[in-house]
Amino acid sequence: MLANQTIMQHQVRPEACEPVLEVEHLTVGVPGVGAIINDLNLTIRRGEVVALVGESGSGKSMTARSLMRLMPSGISILEGSVRVGGEEVLSLSEDSFNEIRGSRIAMLFQQPHVMLDPTCTVGAQAGEALHVHQHLSAAEEHERVVQLFRDVGIPEPEERMKNYPHQMSGGMAQRVMIAAALSGEPDLLIADEPTTALDVTVQAQILQLLDRKRRENNLSILLITHDLSVVSAIADRVAVMYSGEIVEQGTTDEILHSPKHPYTQSLIHCALLESDESGQLYAIPGNPPELLSKMPGCRFRSRCQVAEKWGHPEICSRVAPPMVEHDGPACCARCWVGASDDMQAQAIKICQSATEETS
Amino acid sequence: MWIFILRRLAVLALALLVVSFLVFLIPYLGDTDPVRALARARFGRLDLDAAAIETLRIELGMHRPLLVQYLDWLGNAVTGDFGNSYMSREPVMEQVWSALKVSIVLTLAALGFAFAVAVPCGSIAALRQGSAFDSIVKSLNQAFVAVPEYWLAPMSILVFALYLGWLPSAGWRGPESVILPALALSLRPMGYFTQVMRASMIDVLNSPHIVAAHSRGLSVRRTLIAHGLRNALLPVITLFSVWMAGLLGGAVVIEVIFAVPGMGRLVYSAIVNGDLPVLQAGLVAIVTFAVLINTLTDLAYTVLNPVVRIDNAAA
Repeated sequence: MLANQTIMQHQVRPEACEPVLEVEHLTVGVPGVGAIINDLNLTIRRGEVVALVGESGSGKSMTARSLMRLMPSGISILEGSVRVGGEEVLSLSEDSFNEIRGSRIAMLFQQPHVMLDPTCTVGAQAGEALHVHQHLSAAEEHERVVQLFRDVGIPEPEERMKNYPHQMSGGMAQRVMIAAALSGEPDLLIADEPTTALDVTVQAQILQLLDRKRRENNLSILLITHDLSVVSAIADRVAVMYSGEIVEQGTTDEILHSPKHPYTQSLIHCALLESDESGQLYAIPGNPPELLSKMPGCRFRSRCQVAEKWGHPEICSRVAPPMVEHDGPACCARCWVGASDDMQAQAIKICQSATEETS
Repeated sequence: MWIFILRRLAVLALALLVVSFLVFLIPYLGDTDPVRALARARFGRLDLDAAAIETLRIELGMHRPLLVQYLDWLGNAVTGDFGNSYMSREPVMEQVWSALKVSIVLTLAALGFAFAVAVPCGSIAALRQGSAFDSIVKSLNQAFVAVPEYWLAPMSILVFALYLGWLPSAGWRGPESVILPALALSLRPMGYFTQVMRASMIDVLNSPHIVAAHSRGLSVRRTLIAHGLRNALLPVITLFSVWMAGLLGGAVVIEVIFAVPGMGRLVYSAIVNGDLPVLQAGLVAIVTFAVLINTLTDLAYTVLNPVVRIDNAAA
């Protein structure tokens, strides 16, 4: 469906590569109140770029923060498991997890400027992870940061190291953040909208840089974005988030060209700036539900245009749809429409018994 | 940087010029004739006859036009000559200078102590928001800010000087006599400093660059020291300079109760005795210091905050 705007050639990676990150049944929320992220399952293999897409407020950034265990205060991980290189990390103490942050998982953020300390030179900040994790001497650290700056395309690295964040452009500041993130040679980079705040030309440069690093270092990237052109350019696989749940997963090709979930389909209509019958630009009607709210059935039901045309809309509003596998767990959608007849029949039974109870 | 300092010095000179004129006018603003005030101070009598007053007026040069008198006074003031005290008849500058030194020691001791307590306490309270430590710090702050000095000073004399006998009760002899007045003077600024430090540290801890530093694997403590303190200190530095300028001449209650020969007591007694030259010189000294401290604060700001630093270098 989406024109393939590939700016780089995808490399087809063997499925056999070992997983770097395995997330199972991750539920994050306010204890005693409710969940913001619900039952999230995601696996990222070595050298793979997985895009996490969705509207603002769908829980993408919260997912990223949760994987780094950097949630805002009041929010905690309620259940689930996160394994990094096979090792369970949710049970680790804060001190032990600090050894993983910046060395095995690193993070990039949306607005590089506010993510840098204004009172500290960029060189010092880029060298911090080296200092903490590798205990380098000041001279070695300086040498490494110069190399890193050169590697991420910062001209005159020796001079630039002495700069303060406000003396740099957004693109340069994001390069500093990339240098800082990659200094610990992490296996996984979580990039939370790394190019959203940047010019289109700079955006392409930064994406190219990330793509090159994943080839050179076999780096895995969890790329959080709402921009489907970015997805088509760099991602191997896509996970679509809606209202705190992953509603569909698959390869970039499958998701962009034959999406299963009605929400993904709508998202792609929006991205293509398609018009409806009356010539108006297409927009998904309504708003996403409050993240903490509990509701029976499918969270997308009130905005779904497929449910109306489908034979059993009452199931959608009564019973939460299961994750339906279309091609193994890596290609699945959380929608009743694609479910097998058996599953649908079961759901109809549940609906009927519920109606009898109330009447 | 040098241009910045020169510009600040020009502002300082201008401020002093304006203040000097106002200070010069003080004797002429009240309803007492300055010549009579002098006569009263010197002879202890108000009932001098008019002829004697006129002779004294010509002797002092006070019959000349106001502007001529001002320029004359200013010319002398620039060389440090503010005339002689009406009371002691000694040069005013010597009195002011010795009082100023006492006040600087007292104020620095008090504010230095307040600062040294406030920065760690405010930081820890911010880090452990809502903890028992935070509540204790908060209630102590409120108590410190609310307790009046005229109660605190006699109480501390009662406890530490008279009851425990650890420290001298009053006077200004040696370092141990600094402790009690400095302590009594430090509590209020300490309360304010801690509150501002706590609020500003909470602000900084919520800023995105702290999350980014955590994401590089820095521990909470390391993040706080490397990226929190410097940012959080800026408002406290400003407050420090405000208090410094205020306490230099404004610690009247403490100086009077502890018999500390500082600026507050000097200016206070000059007012009570109508000793106008002392009052004028004292005010000029206080204002000079206040402006100097402001300039120093701006310099400290540029050192701590590179955004300001670069702008100044470019100017």
